[in-house]
Amino acid sequence: MNSVIPVENNDVLSTLRGFLRKLMESDLIDALLVPMEAGDGMVQPALVTDPTLLESANPLLPIMPINNARAMSAITGKHAPARIGAVLRTCEIRALVELVKLQQASLEDVLLIGLDCSGTYELAESMAQGAWNTERRSTSMTTYLSAAHDGREPDIAGLQLRPACQMCIHPVPENVDIHIHLFGADTTVVLALTLKDEIAAKLQLAEAPAGEAWNPEQGRVAADSIIANRKQVREKELGNIRSRMTSNGGIASLFAACIRCHNCMTACPICYCKTCLFKTASFDHEPAFYLNAARRKGAQRMLGDTLLFQMTRLNHMSASCVSCGMCTSACPSDIPVGAIFSAIGEQVQAAFEYTPGQDVDEPLPLITFQPHEWTDIGEEK
Amino acid sequence: MSNDHFEPHIIAFLCNWCTYTGADLAGTSRLQYPPNVRVVRMMCSGAVDPVYVLKPLIDGADGVLIGGCHPGDCHYQTGNYKTRRRYVAMHEILKASGLDERRVWLRWVSASEGQRFAETITEMVTALKELGPNPLREKWAV
Repeated sequence: MNSVIPVENNDVLSTLRGFLRKLMESDLIDALLVPMEAGDGMVQPALVTDPTLLESANPLLPIMPINNARAMSAITGKHAPARIGAVLRTCEIRALVELVKLQQASLEDVLLIGLDCSGTYELAESMAQGAWNTERRSTSMTTYLSAAHDGREPDIAGLQLRPACQMCIHPVPENVDIHIHLFGADTTVVLALTLKDEIAAKLQLAEAPAGEAWNPEQGRVAADSIIANRKQVREKELGNIRSRMTSNGGIASLFAACIRCHNCMTACPICYCKTCLFKTASFDHEPAFYLNAARRKGAQRMLGDTLLFQMTRLNHMSASCVSCGMCTSACPSDIPVGAIFSAIGEQVQAAFEYTPGQDVDEPLPLITFQPHEWTDIGEEK
Repeated sequence: MSNDHFEPHIIAFLCNWCTYTGADLAGTSRLQYPPNVRVVRMMCSGAVDPVYVLKPLIDGADGVLIGGCHPGDCHYQTGNYKTRRRYVAMHEILKASGLDERRVWLRWVSASEGQRFAETITEMVTALKELGPNPLREKWAV
């Protein structure tokens, strides 16, 4: 059901904090994963058990240090040890759904709170620009929230949305218990929510009639306008990547600057393997190996197996890639890793008619099969 | 390099129960097939991780063959069905990334099909001769 909480003094953050605190004190959850202010103009996700600490919770600040699906995997494992609430962005929810299917996280006893997301900004740039520090925060936040209200791209001086956010086509959360509306919502007046009836009853929230400050239709219109814009950006960006991959040099030239630091893998919410082949000594060789390899091709790249690393990762996880772009943000060489993985992942997902993060009951394409599919493969001759 | 003198290198990952035994049968039956293939015996085609296929391909092998039991005949019930899906995914990825997916083959060859194994290798060598050498063989910066 839809509900609204009035906002006082044009301070929606306080209203949201109050709501989260009420949620924690209502005996619905024992702990809450939420971005907390950690230094001026910066947030870090934290698992909170003391509701009074929610005074520094700030899920609205558009900064995403990690994809919190990773945090949810750590917190819940095979089974959450308590009732966990989590305030997540849409790409985090979709990655979490994939991790549940990969048996790396659980949704049992988990209450998901999803936020409409206009996009997030790079950590380093945000810090350098000071866009979210005490001085500038209220101006920046007003700009950001009013853009969401109007269904426009936010325009914060000196900052650009993370590349993945610029082409995100899933800004509205799905499969959540509580949906916090920013698209189409006048957050100067109300905090608009859609929640399950039993949760609303526990929190003593009443059904809100559609009004001036927020109604579902207005929300859909604003979200659709954002999505339409981002679909265009995505098509253009992925088209660029595809033409570079099929032109001279191919995918290897896209990874020419790769320093094989594995940051992309570390930041990736889907890459969970604790014993990843590329973290082992399999690629440390005896000195003679390098000389032999060099003799074979005439030369040997000393950061060898970079393309092998990326191609292997593509084969292992691209079916589940939710395009959160944490890999791009983590890349010290500014390689558009996320766009490359999205461009290729989209094709793999299309082959299996699979949308990652959509349905927790839909099996992963690479662990399921139908006996009578692709029956021509392997049979030629 | 003129393709007439080009002898492709093929790395084959064969399942122990069907294709490897089929290759063995080809040998014991003294069937003739081109000597361009180097065989790695796997317990199941489903145990062939994509990295095994990609490593030789990127290092310059001209072709990689995965051999497994016919669908329905897997010694481990369903391994080859999963191989088939992984192969579909890999073909999409190789195609999308501008690498040549035609160099990676999957064939079902049973333990009794020595003739089919010999023919598969012959066919693959012919096809790879037409494709020419793997361009990655010359590329050191990968």
